[in-house]
Amino acid sequence: MTVFMRRSSQRAEKMADAMNVGVNLEAFSQAISAIQALRSSVTRVFDSLKDGMKNKETLEGREKVFITEFQDNLQSVNRDLNELERLSTLVGRPSESHPLHNSGLLSLDPVQDKTPLYSQLLQAYKWSNKLPPLSRRFIRRGAELPTGFCRFHIKLQYHAGLASSLLNQQSLKRSANQMGASAKRRPKVQPSTLVLPPQYVDDVISRIGRMFPDMSIELFRPNGTSAVLLVTLGKVTKTIVVMRSLFIDRTIVRGFNENVYSEDGKLDIWSKSNYQVFQKVTDHATTALLHYQLPQMPDVVVRSFMTWLRSYIKLFQTPCQRCGKFLQEGLPPTWRDFRTLEAFHDTCRQ
Amino acid sequence: MGVTCVCQVPLAEGKSVQQTIDILHKKLEQLGAVKQGNFTVDCETYHATGNASGQPTKLLYVMHNSETPLSCLALFEGGPCLTADGNFDVLMIKLKSHFQNAKGHKVESRGSRYRYCDFLIKVGAVTMSSSARGISVELEYCPCVVPGDCWNLMKEFMQSFLGPSIPELPSVFATKPEGLYAPADCVDTMTQYLELFSKVRKQQVLPGTTR
Repeated sequence: MTVFMRRSSQRAEKMADAMNVGVNLEAFSQAISAIQALRSSVTRVFDSLKDGMKNKETLEGREKVFITEFQDNLQSVNRDLNELERLSTLVGRPSESHPLHNSGLLSLDPVQDKTPLYSQLLQAYKWSNKLPPLSRRFIRRGAELPTGFCRFHIKLQYHAGLASSLLNQQSLKRSANQMGASAKRRPKVQPSTLVLPPQYVDDVISRIGRMFPDMSIELFRPNGTSAVLLVTLGKVTKTIVVMRSLFIDRTIVRGFNENVYSEDGKLDIWSKSNYQVFQKVTDHATTALLHYQLPQMPDVVVRSFMTWLRSYIKLFQTPCQRCGKFLQEGLPPTWRDFRTLEAFHDTCRQ
Repeated sequence: MGVTCVCQVPLAEGKSVQQTIDILHKKLEQLGAVKQGNFTVDCETYHATGNASGQPTKLLYVMHNSETPLSCLALFEGGPCLTADGNFDVLMIKLKSHFQNAKGHKVESRGSRYRYCDFLIKVGAVTMSSSARGISVELEYCPCVVPGDCWNLMKEFMQSFLGPSIPELPSVFATKPEGLYAPADCVDTMTQYLELFSKVRKQQVLPGTTR
């Protein structure tokens, strides 16, 4: 018990010494008032210069008075400056041992409500400290302990790894690629569905194009090997489908009378349609390309997507299956069910 | 430019032209349409002189539309039509000897232009020599170019603000239900306006509407 008490008192003394060797608080406050005195004497100098010569009978008298006043002011400035220098030597340096190294200096920023950097930094540090023991062992095994920021980075990576493994359980993947926490282990075999010869892609697309007589598919390759399809559906829409090998990456649906080419003659794959109905159909098409997924058989996916897209040939002629009307808020039924291809208004689908 | 339908709206019970137009504006604004400016469509009539006697005089109509301000359309009723630029009017003045302007027969429709979702609605007062003769409503459904596809859709929309007085399918559509509407030069729209103006010309002057 006494050994414990001695140890704790020794620790308390060490802490007090650390505080005392640092800043001399009295000299500090005296130095602040010396600064104020210096500021006022300098202001007096400039004020006297601004006011100029006082009104006296003779020119000589005026000049003499002005010069003596100026000299007095300069001497008071000199006195105050010397006093400040003397006090600054007494103030001493603050303690060097910062627990947070340079980031501790952020606490000196007085504007707390506009830039609460220090408190946010402390919170982030506390959060990153909540590590399971396994990762602490992992860090200790490293040859050198990195500086505070690097440690923070490693902890973040670990948390990110945990999060990605949790998300991967939800099978949001459309391709058969292996990606995960063990990023260092490269996959030895490249998955075959992502790297397909362009000729194969062309064949699949032309076969699908021949399936439907009222839908024509043109294939372009404006940027390297990724195919860009221009699907013309009757006289209703022109859809642009951007592919990545045989996976559908993006799609934009525009009206039949809208321009698909940009000013330099290339296919315009970015600008939205001018009409609200086709902007809505574009959103639904994006949902569809995320819905139809079969990582090992991408050609079946493309065929299902095209079948779904073809149901829009009667976009303006079909009433909604639920409410029976053509228009809801000015829009025709733009939603097509993924299984039955029935038409619904966006607000009428369950 | 999409499928356009032009029709004439009868006056409301006991109301004048301006009052009926105000009622229509209010209904459109209640639906959620936004006013986007004004529009004008006018039509001048020219008699073709120099015909052999016994033949009826051919009438040439020169029409202008504020949607295409730099063009004008010249057409014979049921016959060929020509799209030209604004200088065509000056040319007609030069052709005074062949075509005489029937000045009293100029008909025009002037009013406000509304936009609702993908619809463009123009409600105008039809006037002939500064006397109001009726109300014209032009409805355009911009995304569609095939009249046969969207006629039911347009009828449903017209019902929502015109009430029971919905027109029947315009004759222009009947001839080509599956063909493409002719958007570039508004020929089909102007043909419909011409039919409406001809009907209005033959009508009696409405009581209490002369200015």
